[in-house]
Amino acid sequence: MTDVLLPLSIAVPIVAATLPLALGLRYDEVGWPIAAVTTLGLVGSAAAVAFEVYTGGPFDHELGGFAPPIGIELVADELSAAVFLLVALVSAATLVLSRVIGPRGNAFHSAYLLLSGGLVGVSLTGDLFNLFVFLEIVGLTTYALIAADRSGASAYASLKYLVVGTVGASLYLVGVGYVFLATGTLNMADVSVQIVERASYTDPLVQAGFAFIAVGFALKIALFPVHTWQPDAYQRAPDAVTTLVAALVSTASAYALIRVTYSVFTVDFLAANDAIVTVILLVSGVSILAGSALAVMQSDLKRMFAYSSVAQFGMIVAAVGIADETALLGGIVHLVGHGLLKFGLFCGLALLAAGYGARRVEDLASLARDAPFASGALAVLGLALVGIPPSVGFLGKWYIALGAVRSAGATGGVVGVGIAAVILASTLFTLAYVARVIERLYFAGVERDPGTAVADGGSGDAAVPGTIPTAPLVVLVAAALVAVGLGFAGAAFETLLDPYLSEVFA
Amino acid sequence: MTGATGATAALTAVPPYLVVAVASLLVLALPRALGHGLGALATAFVFAQAVLLGDGGTGAHLATTFLGFDVVFFNVDQFSLLMGVVVGFLATAAVLYAYGSDAPKWVASLALIYVATTLGTIYAGDWLTLVFFWELTAVTSTLLVWQHGGAAVRAGYRYALFHGTGGTVLLAAVVVHFANAGTFLFSATNGIHPAATVLAAIGIGINCGFVFLHSWLPDTYPRPHVAASVFLSVFTTKTAAYVMYRAFPEGGMWLAYLGGFMAVYGAFFALLQYDPRRLLSYHIQAQLGYMLAGFGLATAVGEFAVVGGFAHLFNNVLYKSLLFMAVGVVIYRTGVEDIREMGGLWRVMPVTFLVYVVGAASITAVPGFNGFISKGMVLDSAHEIHNYVLLLDSGLLWWLLVLGGVGTFMSFIKLGYYVFFHGSATLSPDDATPFQTAGMLLAAGACVFFGVFYTQLIELMPFTDLILSDEVYFKPYSRSHLTESAALLVAGFVGFFALKRPLGWLAHHMRDVDAVLFPATFYAGRWSVWGVTEAWAAVDRATMRVVAGAKWVAMNPRRLLAAAGVDAEIRAGIGRSVLLLTLTAAVALFALLLG
Repeated sequence: MTDVLLPLSIAVPIVAATLPLALGLRYDEVGWPIAAVTTLGLVGSAAAVAFEVYTGGPFDHELGGFAPPIGIELVADELSAAVFLLVALVSAATLVLSRVIGPRGNAFHSAYLLLSGGLVGVSLTGDLFNLFVFLEIVGLTTYALIAADRSGASAYASLKYLVVGTVGASLYLVGVGYVFLATGTLNMADVSVQIVERASYTDPLVQAGFAFIAVGFALKIALFPVHTWQPDAYQRAPDAVTTLVAALVSTASAYALIRVTYSVFTVDFLAANDAIVTVILLVSGVSILAGSALAVMQSDLKRMFAYSSVAQFGMIVAAVGIADETALLGGIVHLVGHGLLKFGLFCGLALLAAGYGARRVEDLASLARDAPFASGALAVLGLALVGIPPSVGFLGKWYIALGAVRSAGATGGVVGVGIAAVILASTLFTLAYVARVIERLYFAGVERDPGTAVADGGSGDAAVPGTIPTAPLVVLVAAALVAVGLGFAGAAFETLLDPYLSEVFA
Repeated sequence: MTGATGATAALTAVPPYLVVAVASLLVLALPRALGHGLGALATAFVFAQAVLLGDGGTGAHLATTFLGFDVVFFNVDQFSLLMGVVVGFLATAAVLYAYGSDAPKWVASLALIYVATTLGTIYAGDWLTLVFFWELTAVTSTLLVWQHGGAAVRAGYRYALFHGTGGTVLLAAVVVHFANAGTFLFSATNGIHPAATVLAAIGIGINCGFVFLHSWLPDTYPRPHVAASVFLSVFTTKTAAYVMYRAFPEGGMWLAYLGGFMAVYGAFFALLQYDPRRLLSYHIQAQLGYMLAGFGLATAVGEFAVVGGFAHLFNNVLYKSLLFMAVGVVIYRTGVEDIREMGGLWRVMPVTFLVYVVGAASITAVPGFNGFISKGMVLDSAHEIHNYVLLLDSGLLWWLLVLGGVGTFMSFIKLGYYVFFHGSATLSPDDATPFQTAGMLLAAGACVFFGVFYTQLIELMPFTDLILSDEVYFKPYSRSHLTESAALLVAGFVGFFALKRPLGWLAHHMRDVDAVLFPATFYAGRWSVWGVTEAWAAVDRATMRVVAGAKWVAMNPRRLLAAAGVDAEIRAGIGRSVLLLTLTAAVALFALLLG
């Protein structure tokens, strides 16, 4: 019976998305309760699914009773359950934040629920075309949310993302079309079989299909050099939206890349196409370095951590390209861990912006005296992003680098060592910009006069200037604690993800 | 019987340095009298333990692995036991003396922790443990010097530099030893590996006061509290001699001759001194020469020479500290540190005078005192060496040692003459305090005891059966020995009163190597610090300029482009983003399909 949870987890948020708008005709401020109840249900559902998957093994659900490969299938396995859980938890946590700092309208909550449903759909679907649909739902709602505060800059950022994102999604669709031509099926599991039976790994149609799909994902993930929409989008969006988007949207796309690469095209496809592996590693390596370097150059806090995401996702994609069991484990750990870290970091920045109007690095001067807990959590999360053990950030990077070095040892190639070196270099860059933030927070030596602290943030109408609201602060501190606590969970990650990894590397 | 072995087993489970280290902490916490009493008890325990373990307690106790290496924390054999006996005994006397000398609690505490590290070195059963405690000893003894403040601080720095260098060299020797032998354990090898010979000799030699490596000795020991000097004067150098034997159990003529030169060099410079503790410090070097001469003859002469060296080491601990105590009482009571300003004190300080005579008679090897026994053994051993034969059918080594003996006589006649006679008393201080007297009597009693009952001394030594057997001619009070001693004594008296004026002139004009060494080191250090600092500053400036430039470029990319005449927007707009995307897709396709 648990399998019914899979369609419900997608359908309920999407259906519930109509409620704030519909009821909003009659009641004001009805959006938040509806979103909260739905999201709580989503968390419960995610917990149940994760429990079932990690104790009883993967399971699936055939939508409408149509058997695959014709019908659409929803699959919960060790990988998707982890992402589902992350999506549900971060969505719920974001609601706590958005209630205080906005945005609050019914339209926002409708879009928010649609986004949640779409993200869950991305993580659960087992069908290539269905994946496109959910990616589009996620994309469209994200465009809308970015422009939610109706400022000119956010409208431009939204438009930019809209145009570029649509082209990217189209590339993905083109790729799916090629694969469909080659294999005659859209079900992921079936495609992986049919590629061998009806085509081959070196079939130009299959190769071209993967190329289009990979480029489409690269854009959605925001890898250098097709990341150009992402810093604008993160910077200009309302703070709570940035929190959600930064933690989940690119994460869902990166998850989809892992899923499509390993469950659809399989590791044998990578082995048969050296060129594609080389390109993936090259792009991800450049992404890691360029993203880190660009992050160091920023003085706007949100933009800084936006570029940081370019680098971090570079590492995850590198883990995909290395095609090593340990590296992929690291990639998945970093996927989840990075989502958590970015949620925490943007949440902390949102709180400091709402309370103290801090939007640039220099605005943070000695804020640790006024907001010790928020600053402390921010510092911890930043150090976790650097990869200081014990933290989930260290764990992910460690496994990726370890896998890279091991694969280099296995094949005698310099590429793996190169990736490990790039990760190390990016760690130094990360340390550089995180250190700037921590230095400003703690050691600026500025005496702050409480009277002059003016909340001039984008959503400043909500929070009381010069304070940090309690509920989101609790969430933020919890995120920091979890980020550190998961640093001890290396063995647990290995055990939980082992079935998935041994299946794709069988 | 089981009770006895049980007691032995219990004793072997307690490393003595832990007991002393705990006592060192308690000294600080407890009232002064109680703390010093406890400290004396702890060191007395060390003595008793070593005596009791002599009866069937030998072996490698507390053997374990540390950092993956086999180590022995409590190695009990004939050599470490004799060190334990004398260190425990003397430390007890010295704690009593410190209590009687109004030494601050910190002196006793630091002295005890210094004793503890010394014991760790002595009882180490492997080179790793040994070098660990060796370094700790350098640290604790430096602290003991610094505790006094004033002039002791600068001297303490020089002391620390010397011993830091020596410790590092010894550490290198131990590393080389391990690299070649594959183990740190004493039991696995006979001494240190030949590849590490030079490093070990220099590393240990600094603590032994090798000629030209000795300048820390007369520099440091006169400076701290008189009670601290008593501790310092015996442990570091004598432990070094012991470790020298551990490293080179087969000796070597180089070591013997070095010992001979040390005896002459030390005695000669002692003759020129007017600071009593400085004079005694030079004699430490001279006396170490006799020990090293004995160890050096281990192969050429045999176990007799080794026992001679160890017996001299054992006796030296007793009488050298006794002399430091006696001189310390004079300094403590008068506050004067120049023997020319003393004089006629034998009337007002009879106890101190008596004790000084015992110590001086021991160090100069007057019959009836312990130095006579052990120095005789070393001289007898040296007599069997006939290289570079000079007069009286005796070799260079023997003559060096005899010459050192004459010099020793002369300098102690000088010391006694200036302090206790030499005109009428201008000062009238009190005599030693009761606890000073107690400490001194303990040491003095031992000096006389072992001089008279010399078989007891041999009982404490290794190879006892061999020495006391008929094969070895061991008759300290034979006529030839007594004649030799009398000749030395006469030569000493004649020499001193004949050469008093020339020596006084020399003392003004003759400087030791430190006159060159210290300023040279100081200026070399200053110039190297300046050079390194300036070079670093230059590198730093260059780096900072590059970083600042990079930062400016990073912060002002548009201005850089404008300066270069490029008029372009670098942030990708919508159009260029789509272009980038299309290009990427094209590149990916090309790579896949044509790659």
